[in-house]
Amino acid sequence: MKKKVISRFTMILFVIGLMTAIQFNTMNEPDSRDTRDVWEIRQDLSREKQLHSELLSEIGTLDETLSKYEEAANDSPEQVLRETVEELRQEAGLTEISGPGLKVIIEPSQEAIVTGQNIDQISPALLIRLVNEINRFKGIEMSIDGKRIINTTPIRDINGRTTINGKPVGTPPFEIKIVAGTLDNAEKVSNHIKASPILDDFYIDNLSVNATEPQDEITVEGYDGELELEHLEAAEEE
Amino acid sequence: MWLSILGLILGVSLGLLTDIRIPPEYANYLSIAVLAALDTLFGGIRAHLQQVYDDRVFVSGFFFNILLAAGLAFLGVHLGVDLYLAAIFAFGVRLFQNIAVIRRILLSKWTDKKSIRESV
Repeated sequence: MKKKVISRFTMILFVIGLMTAIQFNTMNEPDSRDTRDVWEIRQDLSREKQLHSELLSEIGTLDETLSKYEEAANDSPEQVLRETVEELRQEAGLTEISGPGLKVIIEPSQEAIVTGQNIDQISPALLIRLVNEINRFKGIEMSIDGKRIINTTPIRDINGRTTINGKPVGTPPFEIKIVAGTLDNAEKVSNHIKASPILDDFYIDNLSVNATEPQDEITVEGYDGELELEHLEAAEEE
Repeated sequence: MWLSILGLILGVSLGLLTDIRIPPEYANYLSIAVLAALDTLFGGIRAHLQQVYDDRVFVSGFFFNILLAAGLAFLGVHLGVDLYLAAIFAFGVRLFQNIAVIRRILLSKWTDKKSIRESV
């Protein structure tokens, strides 16, 4: 009798254990499976490779700077430091920069002028889209209506007016100056804007976007405000 | 008793090692089935301690409870009423009651033994 009871309990406990384990397995299934196909993985790989090569080139430049420092350590370290500071200021967008580039002119569309419609200010969302579209290209410096776009530039609505760096953008027409590094690159940007579907978005707002042909010399204004680095602090020396 | 625990360990390890999975839609049913099984198990232990254990009641209760709970949950899903809550509530309350009774029986057994030893 006793043996039978124990065997029954054993059996039931076995089933309970099995069910619990299965439930545990089911619940612990990873949330997201890797569903990328070969093509997507290939693309990811190429993206990573590009990043890799970018990082390598950055290491190259830094190494160069380092060797320059070492060379100049005896002669005039101040000069090298000055150069570096100037380079960094340029990279941050604090200095005026000129080079081959193009102008993009935002103006009221012909239809809006003919039908006498009111031209409103450009909306921040549209402007952000355009800036993102242009920023697809590397090594771009630009200013919109004289306001330099840097990494921390906010484009937003303040009291009903579209502002860049806190300063209002004029009602169209105004121009966007782009320095693209090389004429080739400037041509690419120009062609990209001319063929971009973003023109349709501008057309809905009664605006037209005209990219000029690449020019040899375009000057982009420097950023004139203070750079606020609230969360960036120098590391403590060890 | 040790044999039963061995059975439990065997079941758990078999389940974990074979890595069986059920579709996530059915995870609800299985969780209720586990609850029903636990309820029956503790009911069986209590009955055994109270000397009213019946083999047939135990085994039939085990399977019937599981099926009923899963069936209720299934019906609930299709009727749009959370009927599985009824099963969880019923089994949950009974589980606690059974465990309380088991604890009392074990406690009284223990105190009895102690007093017998002291009187000897």
